[in-house]
Amino acid sequence: MFAYIVRRVLATIPVMAIVALFVFSLLYIAPGDPAAVIAGDQATPDDVERIRASLGLDRPYLVRFGAWVWDILRGDLGVSIFTNLPVSTMIQQRIEPTLSLMIVTLILAVSIAVPMGVVAAWRQGTWIDRAVMGFAVLGFSVPVFVVGYVLAYFFALEWDLLPVQGYTPFARGFWPWLENLILPSIALGSVYIALIARITRATMLEVLQQDYIRTARAKGLNQSGILFLHALKNAAVPIITVIGIGIALLIGGAVVTESVFAIPGLGRLTVDAILRRDYPVIQGVVLLFSFVYVLVNLAIDLAYTLFDPRIRY
Amino acid sequence: MALLEVDALQTHFRTPDGINRAVDGVSFHVNAGETLAIVGESGCGKSVTAMSILRLIPEPPGKIAGAIRFNGKNLLEASDKEMRAIRGNEISMIFQEPMTSLNPVLTVGRQIGETLRLHQGMSAQAAEDRAVEMLNLVGIPEAKRRVKEYPHQLSGGMRQRVMIAIALACNPKLLIADEPTTALDVTIQAQILDLMRDLKHRVGAAIVLITHDLGVVAEVAERVVVMYAGRKVEEAPVHALFNKPRHPYTQGLLGSVPKLGSSLTGEATRLAEIPGLVPSLKQKIPGCVFASRCAHATDLCTAVAPALEEKAPGHVAACHYALREGALAA
Repeated sequence: MFAYIVRRVLATIPVMAIVALFVFSLLYIAPGDPAAVIAGDQATPDDVERIRASLGLDRPYLVRFGAWVWDILRGDLGVSIFTNLPVSTMIQQRIEPTLSLMIVTLILAVSIAVPMGVVAAWRQGTWIDRAVMGFAVLGFSVPVFVVGYVLAYFFALEWDLLPVQGYTPFARGFWPWLENLILPSIALGSVYIALIARITRATMLEVLQQDYIRTARAKGLNQSGILFLHALKNAAVPIITVIGIGIALLIGGAVVTESVFAIPGLGRLTVDAILRRDYPVIQGVVLLFSFVYVLVNLAIDLAYTLFDPRIRY
Repeated sequence: MALLEVDALQTHFRTPDGINRAVDGVSFHVNAGETLAIVGESGCGKSVTAMSILRLIPEPPGKIAGAIRFNGKNLLEASDKEMRAIRGNEISMIFQEPMTSLNPVLTVGRQIGETLRLHQGMSAQAAEDRAVEMLNLVGIPEAKRRVKEYPHQLSGGMRQRVMIAIALACNPKLLIADEPTTALDVTIQAQILDLMRDLKHRVGAAIVLITHDLGVVAEVAERVVVMYAGRKVEEAPVHALFNKPRHPYTQGLLGSVPKLGSSLTGEATRLAEIPGLVPSLKQKIPGCVFASRCAHATDLCTAVAPALEEKAPGHVAACHYALREGALAA
């Protein structure tokens, strides 16, 4: 087990190297010259050339890549072209709202979607099942920003139950923090809930056909014991897998959600950086997201062993 | 009063192309401590009968009618809660497939202890200690270690032993064993049968043994019910049934059992087979259910269903001709 974890952590190195090369190259081949952007409309070609040299943009591609990777390994993600602040500092300032949004969404989605899927499978073919499936289709097909604006309109503007937008740091108290995150989490989580509920239902339907479920009934267990212990634990592996895959959805959705609800997080930082062609910031944020995703996948693989004793590493 | 009385049991399933009469008016009883075998070909309704007793048939599409009296109480009128208190506690069940009947993600000890905690309110620790005892009882070595293992770490025979341990943990009054040895190797089959017989004496439970294996019947049963196409066609004490089968179907069934080594001693004859197939259970059959495959069938058989008649003391059969001609074509 320990050897496996070490092996998996080591295996993330080539993955991250490829991601790094990709991130670096993507911006290198993207149209638009950052030096020209910084120099502004009035600049002479000489000015642009000077700025380019000061940024190191005139050096060969591989040399620049090497220097960039070397800096990252030392914890230096570079300096923002626009604000002149270190990228790592900018990320640190923006990470709390995004992390909060992700965690609240994750908890909310799993605690709603899994019971929904379980009940739908148990009551297959009834109105409950159809309602859950109908909701899932809706969750898949309505974009995050529509859900976001509709929720904000009713819950914040019309009924005045929750704040319209913004973010309150956790340090200012649990409820003020949570209050601001409820609507964004529902908006961001709707696709995620739909995905998890569907997979839970499908997997549970299969598990409920198994012989050991009949055994559990013959032992005199009640319905919730059968569903949530005997069946759900067997259905866990596919469910955990989509929960993990869905984190990629959350990362993408966070960018839009943060814009709709004016949350000053990494998503907003990314959008702003792209609009300004702030290359070091874009590279830093994308690298961070990739790294998180790789770690999440590792965590999922390890979580399998908790639920299924037949899986050993 | 018998421990279990099954009276005119009907288990029907609604299917898209009509009603499937899997069990159609079957009656029998089981006395305390007795072993009753229910035999018949695949699809004759014996497993459905067993599942109906514990009401494990999903309703709908299933529908159970008649009466199933356990200690005088009609289980078909019991609430869900009352049924749960009986399942695994007073009546427990062993299934055919030991490989798939245990939950793969829970330890063996947990699965044995579960019924004890549920029905006898034992603490987790007490239930685990008892699970170790049960594993010892069913002859699994190193029970202390095995109790923490998962089903995939055990062989098929061991898993069936675990199933038996689960079934007997609460000292049930009735054990229903649905083809308990069918999926096992012959040598393991004998071990499991010995174990069941041994435990039956120790625990004193009555057994309903569902099987298509007449060798198993001869080995362990005291009384036998023969089922065909959802109906009971014959019932007799085990010796009477093997010595003097009355119903042509039972005779055919006994004739189709190969004798070990008969080809070596020179007395080998072609195995008798019963021609034809079990009739579809979706049509109502007016006459005798076996008439279409019976060599002795007459117009009377296809027109009028024979009633169960006592042909000898304790020996009933549903055949128009069985009494008159004695053993028809033995």
